[in-house]
Formats: sequence, C-alpha cells, structure tokens
Amino acid sequence: MTGTVSTPSAGDGRHAAVLRGYARRGPKLVTYGILIVIIVLLGYSLAQLGLDFQRMVRGVSQITAFVDRAFPPDMETLPRLWSPAIATVQIALLGTLLGIALSLVLGALAAANLTPHWSVGFLLKTFFALTRAIPALIWALLFIAAVGLGALPGILALGVNSIGMLGKIFAEAFEEVDPGVIEAIRAAGGNPVQVVLQGVIPQAMPTLVSWSIFRLDINIRYSSILGIVGAGGIGWELQRASRMGDYPSAITVTLVIFVTVYLIELITDQLRRRVQ
Amino acid sequence: MKDGELRPVFVRIDAENRRQRIMFLVGLVVAVAIVWWSVEGTNFSLRAALAGIPNIVRFLWEDLLPPRLSAAGRYLMPAIETLYMSYVAAVVAAFVSIGFGILGASNLVRNPLVRYGSRAVVSFLRAVPDVVWGVLLVGAVGIGPVAGVISLTLGAIGMLGKNFADAFEDIDPGQVEAVRATGASAVQVFVQGVWPQFVPAFISWSFYRFDLNIRSAAIVGVVGGGGIGFALITNIRLFQYQSASMGILFIFGMIIVIEFLTARARDAILGRA
Repeated sequence: MTGTVSTPSAGDGRHAAVLRGYARRGPKLVTYGILIVIIVLLGYSLAQLGLDFQRMVRGVSQITAFVDRAFPPDMETLPRLWSPAIATVQIALLGTLLGIALSLVLGALAAANLTPHWSVGFLLKTFFALTRAIPALIWALLFIAAVGLGALPGILALGVNSIGMLGKIFAEAFEEVDPGVIEAIRAAGGNPVQVVLQGVIPQAMPTLVSWSIFRLDINIRYSSILGIVGAGGIGWELQRASRMGDYPSAITVTLVIFVTVYLIELITDQLRRRVQ
Repeated sequence: MKDGELRPVFVRIDAENRRQRIMFLVGLVVAVAIVWWSVEGTNFSLRAALAGIPNIVRFLWEDLLPPRLSAAGRYLMPAIETLYMSYVAAVVAAFVSIGFGILGASNLVRNPLVRYGSRAVVSFLRAVPDVVWGVLLVGAVGIGPVAGVISLTLGAIGMLGKNFADAFEDIDPGQVEAVRATGASAVQVFVQGVWPQFVPAFISWSFYRFDLNIRSAAIVGVVGGGGIGFALITNIRLFQYQSASMGILFIFGMIIVIEFLTARARDAILGRA
C-alpha cells in the first residue's frame, strides 16, 4: 500500500486524526468552486486595471530598467540622511506623546463608567472611529493646509491619528477597572479628576503602557512617510530623490527608513517585554 | 521578640520600595530628556501649536465643511479602482506568501540558510512602509494603478509571508506523522497532513490583509498609485477642500463597509472549511 492514505484501519487513534483532517477540509467541490471564483475575479480585476499581458511585460522591463539605474545605492547621500532620520524619530515620539495625552482625557470622557453623559461617550467613540479610519498621511495633508509645512503638522497628524486607536483602547481599559475603588475615592470626597488620577489610571496602567509603546512603533512607520507630503522627517528626502530621478539616492533613503523602523521595533520590543 | 522577627522583613520591603522609587525616577528623567531632545530637534513650540488651533478650527469649519455631496460621484470610479487594486494585491500576495511561508517554517524546511533567507526577505518587505514602495514604483512604472498594485502586493507579502510561516510552524505534528506513517510521499504528506491544518489561518489572514489593503491603497494613491487616494490628493492640490472632505468621508465609509463584508465572508467560508 504505497502512497495511499484512503484506507485507514479503524480504531487507530492516529488514523482518526487523519480522518478529522479530511472532515475539516469539507466537500472538495466547494473548494474548487471558490478557487475558480477567486481566479475569475482576479482576471476581471486585472482587466479593469488595464493590466493585460502586454502591460505586464512592459512593467517587468520598466522595473528591470529601474533596478539597473538604481543600483548600487548612492552611499554618498548617507551622511545627509542622519538628521532627517533623527527628526523622524523625534516627530514620532512627540506625536505619540500628544496622542497619549489627548487619549487619556478623551478616553476618560468616553468611558461608560466615567462619562459625564452617555451622549458625550457616544460622540467621542464615533470621533475615535473617524480619526482611526482617516490615514495619518491624509491627516498630515489637512494639517499642512491649516498650519503650513514642517514638523508641526506631522506631530499633530500622528497625535490625532493615534487618538483613534488609543482613545478607544484607553476608554475600554477604564471601563474594566474595579468600580469599588472609584466608589471609595468618591466616598472619601474625591472630585472626578482625583477619581481618574488616583483610582482609574493606576489600575489601567499596564494596558495604557503596553498600547502606548505599540502605538509608538506604528507612529515611527508613519512618520517615515509623512515627509512625502511635506510634514517633516525623512520621507521628504525620498520624494525629492525620486522626483529628480536620482534613484540610487532613493534606494539609500529606503535602506535608512528600513534600519530606523527596524531599530525602533527592537527597542520597543525590549521595552514591552520589560513592562510585562 | 515579635518585633525582632519582623524587622528584617521591613528592611527588605524598605529596600525594595527605595529601589522601585529610584527606578521610577531614573525612568522619568530619561523620558523627560527624550522629550526635551525631540522638542529641540523638531523646533516644536507648544505656543505655536496652540496658536495654530484657531487656524485649524477655521480651516475645518470654513474650508472642509460642509462636504460637497455632489462630489461623491467623482469618487465612485476611483473607489472601485481601489477595490480592484486591493483585491489583485491580496490574491497575488496570498499565493506568493504560501511559498515564503513554507520556506520560512522550521518544521518544513531543514536548511537554516533557506529559512533565514526567506524570513529576511519578508522582514525587509514588512519594515519598509507600503507608501515607500509606492514612491519607488511610481518612479519605475509611472503614475497609475500599476504602481499601486505592485506596492500593495509587496507590503502584503511582508505581512502574510511572516504570518503564514508562523502558521505552518504552529500545526500539529501528530497529524503530519499520521499521514507519513502510511507511507505517503513528501507531496502527499504536505497536501493531506499539513495543508488542511493551514487553511483556516490562510483564509483569515488573507481576508484581513484585503481589508488592510483598502486602507493602504488609499494612501498609496496619494503618492501616485491610482485609486481613491489619487482622486483625493488631486482635490487637495486644487484647494477643493469641500470635495476633499467628501472624499475622506467616502474612504471612511468604504473602509467600514468592506471591513463588515470581509468579516462576514471570512466567517462564512471558515464555518464551511
């Protein structure tokens, strides 16, 4: 019986496991049906995008030509990229800090157990969903229109975009705290601010810290691209090199972005592990 | 007597408290120093930020609002293009990532060089943001959805390649052994022992990525990658802010609807598989 698994003998536990594997796969016909639908949709989408065979062949030759021109990367640009890379990290740090500060206040106002009125909580949670759904790059475009070019619109964009995630998470963390503690502080005559600062935040601290670190990680990625539209950081160098057709420099910038994002990820990983 | 027994405990708690307080202070000083450094480096001034608030509010109320509802039609075709881009990128990346996933899984590939090589490529693709790929590809193949599709695909491989490799590593070796014990060939072991266990992860990650592609496509479009992001940036560049805010609402609505639909579709398929 070489190569056939279709006749397992009854009563063998391992064969029963094989049979369970089969059962989980479900009817084969449906699997093939789904696969065919996926492929037909793929062909249709490619046709709609104008990506026919000719365009693909042309694309491949375009990319080959690009790689030919872009490599080796221009290492002479490297020293010039140091300060934009640092600025990228700084923008991410300040944006995250702004996001944390705003999220603590708004999260407390949105949490069901702390909100002054349920409608305020509802409105804030809708606002969180909106800030989350609008990408950081688009926030940056809007803030540039409002306050001009530079690091400031970048920091504001990251701060507001962070509220979408942190505000929601913080509100949920606040909702999970022990109501007894809140009651105790209220009974002792504490005002709402004292309730939040001394009763709620200390209890939610582990959640607040680990999500804030996670958000810093995300913001580093975003701040590396915000410069593309003029909101500070290394993205501008990429956009400039690319616009000028200086592809070897563009590749160098890409490598610097990679190293920056990767290093910060290593550091935040360590921080998160330390906190837990 | 009792006092004498407790004293060492108190001393220890005291030392522990002092240590914690010192650690806290050190952490605080480091944090303040980092913030100070960032404020200096970016020329951030709280006063400028606060002074900007009236500008921001005026911009929001007078320029952005109300959204020009009649501009919604203008976004429909670009939105559909974004859907096509996200779909093509998700499907192509899902299939390519199966390869990277297999090569990166320690229980499937013995050769560490192959494994680390595969994982390194995927990590690189993941660490470089999609938009960066977008800028480079617009340089290579020109403005339009082709650049968008390729950069989304690269980003998606960065994510799916890692999660697929992890999913392959998480499968139950017992079931694989059971198939192997029947004398099946390597291909049969994979198809009948490994693959069925991988399918649920494959489906849920691929659907999730399609979802993320929609968000990502909206930004890749901004740098010239086609779709709704390109339509949006065009309006912003022309200072047509009320049309732009309509576009933002459109993206918002699209993301929410797609998120809902993909979750339903995924559950329906997984319930069956």
